[in-house]
Amino acid sequence: MAASACNLFPVGWYSSSEKATDGSGNNLTTKPVADEAVMLQVREGAVDMLGDLFDRYQVPLYNFYAKMTGDRVVSEDLVQEVFFRILKYRHTYRLGTPFRPWLFQIARNARIDHFRKQRPETELDPEMAAPPRVDSAQKKQETSLLHRALMQLPAEKRELLILCRFQELKYEEIARLLGCEVGTVKTRIHRALQELRVNFQELESAHSRPGNSAGAGRIPPAGSQS
Amino acid sequence: MKCERIAELLPDYLRGNLNHEQDDQIEQHLEACAQCRADVAVWQELAHVPVEQPSPQLRARFEAMLHAYQEGQSEKGNVVAERPAGWNWWSGMHWLRPAVGFAVALVLFVAGYFAGSERRSDDSRAQEIAAVQSELTNMRQLLVLSMLQQQSASERLQGITWSAQVQADPQVLSALLRALRYDSSVGVRLAALDALSRHGNQPQVRAGLVKTLDAQQSPLVQVALIDLLVDWRDTSAVQKLQMVEQDPNQNPAVRQRAQLAIEKLNRGKL
Repeated sequence: MAASACNLFPVGWYSSSEKATDGSGNNLTTKPVADEAVMLQVREGAVDMLGDLFDRYQVPLYNFYAKMTGDRVVSEDLVQEVFFRILKYRHTYRLGTPFRPWLFQIARNARIDHFRKQRPETELDPEMAAPPRVDSAQKKQETSLLHRALMQLPAEKRELLILCRFQELKYEEIARLLGCEVGTVKTRIHRALQELRVNFQELESAHSRPGNSAGAGRIPPAGSQS
Repeated sequence: MKCERIAELLPDYLRGNLNHEQDDQIEQHLEACAQCRADVAVWQELAHVPVEQPSPQLRARFEAMLHAYQEGQSEKGNVVAERPAGWNWWSGMHWLRPAVGFAVALVLFVAGYFAGSERRSDDSRAQEIAAVQSELTNMRQLLVLSMLQQQSASERLQGITWSAQVQADPQVLSALLRALRYDSSVGVRLAALDALSRHGNQPQVRAGLVKTLDAQQSPLVQVALIDLLVDWRDTSAVQKLQMVEQDPNQNPAVRQRAQLAIEKLNRGKL
């Protein structure tokens, strides 16, 4: 327990001296009360206010996990776990810490802890890794192929793309999250994108080839046991 | 400009972090280079990957957790809140999670109530006892639900054991079904199956068990599941059992067990 508390916040994570530059990020201006202010209230004991943060972040977090794990149930469990950890470690939230990256730090750790205990083969649920391909519109089909290509990426690359493309974290924030240089993040994003493109193109050409249906492996119904 | 040079700038280009001049340079390159163009196209296409919605239960579970936590806090008083750094003694007693702490407090309260209420009139006493008991039931359910969410398998196991003392509440049943299907520990899954075996009269449970049959990863759990379905004479399971029996990816022992089960269930039908 104590170990995972350390693991949550790497040393030097957003020390209060370097905040504020991006702490009052522009994407927060549309919200009635900044996440940071709400979180401070939660820290001071108004745990009911966590409901506000839950409303704001359940969908982004759920999508982060759904795209990482491909498993709806695990994703919901992990969202729950994140809010449990926020409650439990709310005292460690510091004034001036941008909330969003802090939240995703917890989210990453929760996922890592979860899959450390899990056998690796359960990481991808094929049911969700392959979304239904019934869409007739070409556009939708492309998107679903792209989704599959994304699920084929190794976890770190997938995570990187999800964090910057879907969760809109800044490169600096991701760098801090991963504990590396901003330049490294950019390089890795570019590589991940290239790999995604290759996966996607392969899927696309496999898909357009006739007679390559996925249901080919069906077993004849009788007497297969010997 | 070459691809390598573009590679340095592309991530910033994608986020619109570059100045006009640099943007122009990149766009010139993109016109000439099909691969980089495809990279950018994929990036843009990512925006169309749909946002998925969690189930409405997620909010309910969150509220249950928050509630249990608040109750736990108020029962414990402010001692813990006062000392953020002094977690050590607390984390050592890992079983004494807030929810558990609260339940223990509630049990003590009920015990105290019984002890102290000797002299009251029987009538009002019975009413109050009923009220306290129903509250206790609710708290137990919350407790079970929150324990099934714990990180450690032994705590989840404990949650399953507790669930036996709770009435067959649909929320608890679905938490047990979820444990049976998705828990990472075979022990927890077996315990969940055992707990569910007491609720064979619930259609939700039966349907859930049948559904999880071929999704199970552990042959041990599968065999136990098949045996339970035979015990219940659940003929609706035959179709799924046949699928398992014919699936070459399944464990041979499981397939054999499924075959036997189908024979037994079919015999029962006649």
